[in-house]
Order: sequence, then C-alpha cells, then structure tokens
Amino acid sequence: MSEAKGKTAAQVLADYDGPHLRIMEVCGTHTHEIFRLGIRKLLPPQVDLISGPGCPVCVTQVGFIDEALWLADQGVTITTFGDLVRVPGTTRSLASARAEGARVQVVYSPLDALDYAKAHPEEQVCFLSVGFETTVPASCLAVDQALAQGVDNFSLLVANKTMPNAYAALKDSADVFLYPGHVHAITGTGLCEDLVEQGVSGVLAGFTAKELLTALAVAVTKAQEGKPFFVNAYPRVVKPEGTPAAVELIERVMEPCDTEWRGLGVIPQSGLRLREAYAAHDARKKFDMPHIEGKANPACRCGEVLQGHCKPSDCPLFGKVCTPQSPVGACMVSGEGACSAYYQYGGDLL
Amino acid sequence: MTEVSGKVTLAMGAGGKQTAKLIDEVFAARFASPLLTADDAAVLEPPRGRMAMSTDGFIVSPSFFPGGNIGKLSICGTVNDLACMGARPLYLTCGFVIEEGYPLDKLAQIAQAMADTAASCGVTLVAGDTKVAGKGQVDGVFITTTGVGEIVEGAAPAGAKARPGDAIIVTGDVGRHGCTILLARDDFGIEADVTSDCAPLWDSVKAMLDVTDDIHVIRDATRGGVGTVLYEIASQSGVGVRLDAASVPVDPAVHGVCSMLGLEPLYLACEGRLVVIAPKEQAPALVEALRACPNSGGAAIIGEVTDDRPGWVVMRTEIGAETLLPQPGGELLPRIC
Amino acid sequence: MCVGLSAKVVRIADGMAMVDASGAKREISVQLLNDVEPGDYVMVHAGIAIAKITDEDEHETDELMEGLLA
Repeated sequence: MSEAKGKTAAQVLADYDGPHLRIMEVCGTHTHEIFRLGIRKLLPPQVDLISGPGCPVCVTQVGFIDEALWLADQGVTITTFGDLVRVPGTTRSLASARAEGARVQVVYSPLDALDYAKAHPEEQVCFLSVGFETTVPASCLAVDQALAQGVDNFSLLVANKTMPNAYAALKDSADVFLYPGHVHAITGTGLCEDLVEQGVSGVLAGFTAKELLTALAVAVTKAQEGKPFFVNAYPRVVKPEGTPAAVELIERVMEPCDTEWRGLGVIPQSGLRLREAYAAHDARKKFDMPHIEGKANPACRCGEVLQGHCKPSDCPLFGKVCTPQSPVGACMVSGEGACSAYYQYGGDLL
Repeated sequence: MTEVSGKVTLAMGAGGKQTAKLIDEVFAARFASPLLTADDAAVLEPPRGRMAMSTDGFIVSPSFFPGGNIGKLSICGTVNDLACMGARPLYLTCGFVIEEGYPLDKLAQIAQAMADTAASCGVTLVAGDTKVAGKGQVDGVFITTTGVGEIVEGAAPAGAKARPGDAIIVTGDVGRHGCTILLARDDFGIEADVTSDCAPLWDSVKAMLDVTDDIHVIRDATRGGVGTVLYEIASQSGVGVRLDAASVPVDPAVHGVCSMLGLEPLYLACEGRLVVIAPKEQAPALVEALRACPNSGGAAIIGEVTDDRPGWVVMRTEIGAETLLPQPGGELLPRIC
Repeated sequence: MCVGLSAKVVRIADGMAMVDASGAKREISVQLLNDVEPGDYVMVHAGIAIAKITDEDEHETDELMEGLLA
C-alpha cells in the first residue's frame, strides 16, 4: 500500500477499485451530513452507502405520536424536541394539535422541559423522550431531578431505543457499519470490539467532512484486508470506556424492554422504559393511559430502505404522496431520515 | 416633545378627544411635515416618471429586539420593497392596530424609530390611521405601511429576468434578523451577540443604479431568508441557481446558534439584505458600490445563474461536491435528536 | 440521530457550565463528566456535555490517514 502514501481520504475513496462494498451509516446525523456535504458524489459506483435506522424520530412507532396526542387532549402540556412536531400520528401531528389549541412547547433539552414544569406548577408537563444512548442521559437527568426535587407535574413519555440489538438485527445488511460517534461517546467501544468477534466490521465516525471522509477511507481500505475489523476514527470524542457516569445513570433510571422500530418491527430488548421507582413520573402510568396502537401506511417501503434492500426512489410513494411536507413513511418524517435526506438534497436529481 | 406615559385605552380608539390627544402626542409630534395634515387624505405631487406602490403588514414578537423595533421594521420593509423595483421611496402611509393596555412610552419609541428611519432614507409619512383593539385581540402592536416610489429611469428589475451566466450577489451576511428574533424569544436559553440586520436599502440600490441599470433582479430576503428568495427567482425565471457554500457570508455567532439548533442560516429571515442578480461582468463594480454604502458593507458574490436544472438551487459544498439546497419547508424547527 | 456541538467551557458552577460555540452561549449540564475545567472543549447534545474533546479533527484525521497508508 506504500504507493498510497500522501493520498487524501477523498482520493483513497475515488481510487477504490475493490469488490462491491455495502457501508451502512447507522446514524441519522451521519446520513444528513453525508447528503448535505455531497459525499456520495465522491464515491465510486461499487461502494454503496446504506442509510440505516439511526434516526430516532424515524424509527419511533406511529402509536407514540398518538399517545402524545392523547396526553395533549387531556390538557397536558407537551414539551418536545422540534424534530417530532411535524411527525404524523395515525391521523394528526403535534403541529396540527397545536393549531387546534393544544399546548406544545419546543425545547432544546429535557432539562429545559423540567424548568418549564417548575415555572408552570399549574400545568402538567410531559417531555417526549425519544433518542438513543446519546440522548437518554439528558432525559434521565431531568426525571431524576424531578423525583429528587419533588417536581410532581413533570413526566416523561418514553420511546428511547438502544443500538446493540439493532446492530445484531442488521448485521447481514452491510459489510461495514459506520458506527454512530455520539452513541459510543456514551457507551464506549467495547461493543464494537465484541462485534468483531462475531464477524461484524465497523468504523466509528465523527461528523465533520474530514472525519466522515477519513472514516469511509478507513472502511474501504481495511475491508480489502479480508478480515473483520474495528477502527475508532473519532478518538478525540469517543474513549474506549465512554462516559461511565452516563451509563450508570441510564441503568439506574431506565430498564430494557422489547420495542417496535417503525419500519423494522419488534427488536427484543432494544427499548428502554422508566424503572418502577420513577412510576410517578412515567406519563403512561401517571395518566392511566390506555393501550394505543397506531397504523402505518402499508404501501410504505421504509423497512426495505433501512436495510438497504431498495433506494428511496424505488418506493411507489416517494416524492409523490410522501414528501417532507407531508410525510407518509418513517424515513421521510425527519430531516435526518434516509428518504427525507435523499429527497431534500436531490439524491435522484443530481 | 411631550413625554408620554400611561397605557393605551379603548377610549383612545373611539375617535374623540382622547384619540386626537394620542395622535397629536405620539404620532403627529414625530411625523410632522407639511404633507401630513388633519384632513381626510394627503394631497401630493405625483412622481415624475413611472410609479411603484407596495403595502406590507408587520407583526413581530417581541416588538423590540436588538437592532430595532417593529416601527423601524415597518418603514424598512416597505422602503425595501419599493427599492427592489428600482423606485426611490417618496411617501408612506401607516396603519396601527394597538392592543388595549399597551404602554404609551413604548408606542412613542416605535413612532420615533419610524420617524428616524423614514428621515434617513428621505421618505415622508403622509397619512396614518390608529385603531385600538381589546386586550388579547392583537399582540401588542401591528403596523401596516403602504409606500409610493418613483422608478429611476431605465431601471426595470424583475423576478423573471435572471439569465444563465448572471452573477448572484447578496448585500451582507445572512440570517441575522431571524436569529435575533429567535434569541429574543428566549425559547432555547441561548445567548449570543447578534443584532438584527433591519435597515433601509434605498441608498444601496441607488448606488447600484448609478453603476448600471443593467440589473436583472433585486429582491429583499425577508421571511424565508435568502434560500427562499433564490428558489422563487429560479422558478420565476425558469433557470438554475448554483451557490458556493463557502462564499455565503454568515456571522460567526449566527453560525454558532444555527449549529446548536440544527438550522440553515440561508432560511433565517433577513430585514436588510438584498439578493441581486446581474450580468457577471457588472458584478465586481456592483459589489464595490454596495460595499461603500453603510447598510451593504458586507456585499459578496455567492453564486451564479445556470441553465442546468431549472427551478432548483444547487450548492457547491465545502468538499467540492454538488447537492441541492433543501427546498423551503415552512416553520423552522430545531433539529436535536 | 444526535446533533452534537463542540463548545468551549467558559465557567462552571454546581455541575452546570456556560459553554460558547463561536459566540453562541448556553448553560448546559456537565454532571456526567469528571474534571472539566474552563477552557476545555466538550461535545454538547440536548443540553448536556456527553464527552470531553481531546484533540482537533484536522490533526486526528491526518494521523489516521498516515497510519492507514503507511
């Protein structure tokens, strides 16, 4: 490989002439940045980038939005990341409920939602807790403080998910995973090392143009060596041990459960719920919520998109009835979804 | 000038003595000119050439923000709409809808900002109207201004006139007003030293027209920002737009706020920025003329008009690849998780 | 999935820190990190610091490429 010396990551990628390679970027922010920067344009045709299931908004089950709307209808103030506001439930979104008078407050952090609850003791305030290991600690901090400080009017509606069993469920869909840098900033690199033992290869990637190109260059180069590998290409943020205090906090506040991933079905033990000690702040228990099951559009091919079995533009709904303005499927509902990024950044146009 | 204090009452909108007092003390005292009389309409000399006319309503929350207030905004908005047609602004009228209980001293500050801004761009306030609405029926103050301008001979910019090969100029850094308002609402606990770009731009347009009247399009980028304006022009002219991401001027703090909230500065509102499209060979002289004006010192060429992909705005990214600028998507929502 | 922002710690008190990302300032929780000091860079997500940043990306990616192609 000495002839490669001095090449930039972009040149390594452009010059790749090895066999067909499927690289799955697991993380929605990676998907978004890869499209925004136009990185796909620099790749040779035999490198396929598959946009995996790492956009929490996309994989959140339809019924979760229906649950949030049910709470809003009871007069509960909904606090949420902006990402969820336009996501359609079975018949409505939070944006349409807000237009009809529901209180929907967009926040930057679950801690801000807690502050809102403290400032409005006359309201019941529920934070919609979505997101993976990166986002879970913020929710846990908020609910833990609510319990400790007796903020009785604050609760969480939890749909958090974790990655390990998703990797296992998807391991046949890709030759190399581009691991989500910020999930592993929390959990560390142990799981990635273990996956090598099971024959699963991956590169842990950061989020700048240079970091993404470098991670992809590492992926195509190491893949040619013919044996499973793991490289941490984001060591300035991800340490082998992760952030232990965050992991401990998650374990103290939440426990694993089976959960449905929109488009992929139920993945065992890949969800989180609040432990019994936090029952008073668990919106489902606190408000005695009935079981609510949402309905997704059966024509949507998101499940196949998330596994790389088809491109967004292969779906009959894509760009016609399913657009970012009126999304039908999981991958179109968030700016970080595979279909949405493909549509917005001109995946089939340029 | 009489100091005013107290609050706006419904009686002040009832047309009697109290209405007259409100108008005299708050508005007439500041807008005074021979053209503004107590009669039912202003009587004016007509413009010399062709005339441009525009109207715009202003609601902004909060109504005071770093870099201006709703009064300044209401003058700039209509002056800039006229300027975009190559028209020197001559006369403005203004209509107020004021919420019962609104502090009179705030109202006076708004009127003062209107008077100062109008004076700075040589436009005269010639008529006005005041209504008071019950508490909760409006949010503070709503203002509508209507303006008349005189089109400079030879100038005929229009949204449908962009041609492949033209250069695209923006008259300063983008997204400052939208960012300022977002911060002023304090929904996200973020602080940054950002002030609104709110400014009247007739001087800048005049400076360009002094260079050449061969300017194809002038648009002010207000709601929806520069990105929305570019999509509108691409559609109206049936052309493609290619932007160079690295050339788009963005204030570092605006960039920081946008990174925190996952927003695109090209879609944040401006209130003092024009998008100008002109033949490439004219562009350097236009930029030079713009930079000499106080409200367009940061003018820059940010891209070009193409015949590729009509109707679309393509970005050349920092790694040299091309992608679409995502189309405008309505309400800006922070992207976090 | 996780929009992160690299920001500089300006001051710290009681597990909360004021951070600065090119002029945009905000209060965040640094409870989950040990020994963070003013001047350090942290990765911020949803109002909390999720990791301390130990290097610049330019430097680190260059090293990775050198190692890869050696």
